[in-house]
Amino acid sequence: MTTLGQLGLWLALLIGAWGTFVGFYGGYTGRPELIASARRATYALCGVLVVASIGLLVALLKHDFNVAYVANYTSRDLPTVYVLSAFYGGQSGSLLFWAVVLSLFGALAQWLTSRKYDHLLPHVAGVTCAVTLFFVIVTLFAANPFERLPFTPADGSGLNPQLQNPGMVIHPPMLYLGFISITIPFAFGVAALLSRRLDTGWLHAIRKWTIVSWLFLAIGITLGMWWAYVELGWGGYWAWDPVENASFLPWLTMTAFLHSVMIQEKRGMLKKWNMVLITLSFLLSIFGTFITRSGIISSVHSFAQSAVGYYFLGFLIFIILAMAVLLWLRLPMLESDAHLESMVSREASFLFNNLILVGIAFSVLWGTMFPVISEIVRGTQVTVGPPFFNQVNIPLGLLLLALTGIGPLIAWRKASVKNLRRQFAVPVVSGGIAAAILTALGMGNFYAITTVSLAVFVVGTILQEFVRGVGARHRLHGEGYLQAFARLVGRNRRRYGGYVVHLGIVIYFLAFTGQAFRVDLEASLNPGETAEMQSPWGHTYAFTHIGVSQYDELNRLVSAASVEVARDGERMGIMKSEKRQHFICSAPIRPCPRQLRKPSFEPSTEAGIRSDLREDIYIVFAGVVEGTEEAVYRFTLNPMVWWVWFGGFVLVVGGVVTLWPGTTIRTVGEGDTQGGYAAQLLESKSA
Amino acid sequence: MHRRDVLAHLTAVAVIPLAGLVRAQEVPAGGAQEGATGDRVAAPELYDPFRVGRPRDRVTDYENDPFIVGLESRLRCTCGCNLDVYTCRTTDFTCGTSPAMHRQVVEMVESGKTAQEVLDAFVAQHGEMVLMAPKKEGFNLLAYFLPGTAVVGVGALLVWALAKRRGRVAAATVAGDTLSSEDRATLEAELSNLEL
Amino acid sequence: MLELIAGVLVAFVAVGAVVQPLLVPVRAGKQTAKPEIEFEELEESASPKIQALLALKEIEFDRATGKLSDEDYAELKAKYSKAALDAIRAEEAATSAVTTNAGDAAEELVRLAASGALAVCPQCGPRPETGAAFCSDCGRPLTKPEPAAKAKARYCEACGNSLSPNAKFCDSCGVKVGAQPAGSVR
Repeated sequence: MTTLGQLGLWLALLIGAWGTFVGFYGGYTGRPELIASARRATYALCGVLVVASIGLLVALLKHDFNVAYVANYTSRDLPTVYVLSAFYGGQSGSLLFWAVVLSLFGALAQWLTSRKYDHLLPHVAGVTCAVTLFFVIVTLFAANPFERLPFTPADGSGLNPQLQNPGMVIHPPMLYLGFISITIPFAFGVAALLSRRLDTGWLHAIRKWTIVSWLFLAIGITLGMWWAYVELGWGGYWAWDPVENASFLPWLTMTAFLHSVMIQEKRGMLKKWNMVLITLSFLLSIFGTFITRSGIISSVHSFAQSAVGYYFLGFLIFIILAMAVLLWLRLPMLESDAHLESMVSREASFLFNNLILVGIAFSVLWGTMFPVISEIVRGTQVTVGPPFFNQVNIPLGLLLLALTGIGPLIAWRKASVKNLRRQFAVPVVSGGIAAAILTALGMGNFYAITTVSLAVFVVGTILQEFVRGVGARHRLHGEGYLQAFARLVGRNRRRYGGYVVHLGIVIYFLAFTGQAFRVDLEASLNPGETAEMQSPWGHTYAFTHIGVSQYDELNRLVSAASVEVARDGERMGIMKSEKRQHFICSAPIRPCPRQLRKPSFEPSTEAGIRSDLREDIYIVFAGVVEGTEEAVYRFTLNPMVWWVWFGGFVLVVGGVVTLWPGTTIRTVGEGDTQGGYAAQLLESKSA
Repeated sequence: MHRRDVLAHLTAVAVIPLAGLVRAQEVPAGGAQEGATGDRVAAPELYDPFRVGRPRDRVTDYENDPFIVGLESRLRCTCGCNLDVYTCRTTDFTCGTSPAMHRQVVEMVESGKTAQEVLDAFVAQHGEMVLMAPKKEGFNLLAYFLPGTAVVGVGALLVWALAKRRGRVAAATVAGDTLSSEDRATLEAELSNLEL
Repeated sequence: MLELIAGVLVAFVAVGAVVQPLLVPVRAGKQTAKPEIEFEELEESASPKIQALLALKEIEFDRATGKLSDEDYAELKAKYSKAALDAIRAEEAATSAVTTNAGDAAEELVRLAASGALAVCPQCGPRPETGAAFCSDCGRPLTKPEPAAKAKARYCEACGNSLSPNAKFCDSCGVKVGAQPAGSVR
């Protein structure tokens, strides 16, 4: 099937190039046959890339080890789920994955976008085809997954055991979906610039895309944290690794974009800034791929160094230059329609929110790139690790958290001091009380106290928003409280969905604070021996080593160490942490005879985790002393980790609320023109 | 031919958790009693020590010492794992570098060196890269203070620009003229129309 | 072999689909076979009228939740009321301009009926001829209706709440809507 896959890629090259040309040229001339051809090109591009992907998937499933990619990332005994996930587990496969998903999004953008935006679509087709074309070129000429080996190995070398985890099956595609879908809003931005249709139309056309890609990024990042927590064994979920940062960066700029877009929609301001933000988000999504693939910054996630990096660098530079020229040419058309009416207004608070979000993005990018900068400027390599990022970003993060609470309390357009006092009284007082209680309880950590009291403040504002909103509807429309609540949320899904998202963010912040109170203990225990430790919540945990059992699994040899756990003298149960030695078999015989097993990776560790609302028990089996059952453990008590995953859930719920279709009006209707919006009909016809 | 492969995979997926369950039952239950704390009896030999990876040293008080742990979390393991020495030696058990660096730290602390002296010794040996965060001096100050300064600077600029503009807008605002009753009726009608 | 045939087939279909519009000329306007009726969310409307009205509603709501002071409320309300009225007038003007230009007799009729400029026969409904005094079908005298906007605006006598055109009871206070002439409250 690799022939078919290879052919699919070449066809994609052809159609992608044609679609790029005909999209831009058709959009420029407005010739309907060219525009129709560009639209068809997005569909055909998706079709041929799907064929290419099927080619790779079939090769993977058939264990065609003559194909280098299949031999490098899978083995005969790899569970089928992981064989499938190897599609995007390696360098060249992930590039193909990127191309096929982007072409799918490009086709969906053509198919789903309302007729109102027909003037933008040819340019959008041009951009999506161009970006897809870039990935097809890289796949074809720098990292081809269909490349064959001169010989056929008996078995592949298997997938890295750390990637053999259910989290790893869904985390990368989610993140990729987020990265890739940013291209669509970006394409609409470019289309608006090229077609000179710079009203709010393009923003409306991309609203759902923006939120969806933002959600995918958030889900992808959270799943990545979960994977790191469960699989990497250090008991944390965020290490400011370059690749983690790379996924965080576009999320930050997209968050800024989601907020500042509201100002442009409502007031016609910040047009240039929004163009810059969406371009920046797109660039950062490509940049993330660039730094993982170029090997420019070492990272646990790095793929092998290759020529791919140069392709990405070239592409990045091209986009920056092209966008700079385009923006400069259209600058006169991007003037604001209105001016800020007051410094104390929602608009102004959004400006500061954007400043902080972009500031955090800048500081993360700056920290990530600083080793490279330092090497260029001083010739000295430095390490920029978690201590640096925490020091620089925690204050900015807290500022952002505070703004999350302040923004919703200020009216659009204008607010006066008297009203501010009324709005802030309850939330500020409750935040203050929280701080006082924590200090009285003897919590010494300044940042923790600040975070918690700010969190209480923000939750206070969110609750107050809901309560006062329901009250206002009750008074204005005479609705019962339940009905008022339903209508309040139902008719302002963006606003109140947004508040739910804020709630999710607050939960994240609280959960992150828990990391400051983490405790670790290392111990070597004979069977029957017990180690004790104190949790930050005041519990005493006793860990009794039971023993180490060894057994074989399908593709690995397992040594499992068991620990009996008791909290405050009360038995909780037995927890287990594993060492796994993966192997491949030199002959296709099942089960593999002992003599034919060849260890494939260094032994990996599976942590034992028990979650609870207050803290996680995290047990790592480090190894044994002198080949006996005397086991070395690391016990970690990790407060509040469960809340990270819960925060992610709340955030997704909020996102779905904002996405839910709201009150609609009919705009294009041939039959009925007597309704209240006849003018709209005529207007769209004349367009 | 390949159908059999697929079936084999499917059964494998089904068997793994089952096998895990069965094995968990086999864990010796006798060992769960409180251990003798006095004389340590040597633990029984393992069936196949090779599978457990690198042999480990017995844990002493040094491994959990907050001072040493604190020092080690400021030092980067030089094996290329990107982790600090403490995280590496308690996470990546295939690395031989971080235990060696740990022993070095313990030796230095034992010989009476202060924290700063230990860090300096490592920097002298491996270069500045061995520190998890760059020293706050010289060019590195840019790393620490550029983002914060930029945010504060742009923020101040923003406030200044807004304050300047505000005067202009306030002057431009016309006093709201009252609506005629007919206009009001039109507006009210349109508004109630919007209430779908 | 089979793979190669499949490949050639894929190539033909893909390239054919892309080239087809160039070979078989598309009629302008036909290229997008989209449903005739589309819905859009209010907030995404490009109409300045709707945007101004939404702003008014928001100002009202912000005052009710205590975010706007009365002075700010009055100022903003005046400003956006003016904007909304301007937009409404502009839209009305655009409507008549477009239909006059369109030259479509049916649409012209619809527009006139909607704007209330057409005479209405109590038996046969809106009449096509302007300025007629009697229905050309049944001969009954025609009535000149009031402009649509005015006819629609009704208020509750008891509380002053604005009423929807067909309301039998006030949805604010529940009082039965009486035979009060339209638009007389306030």
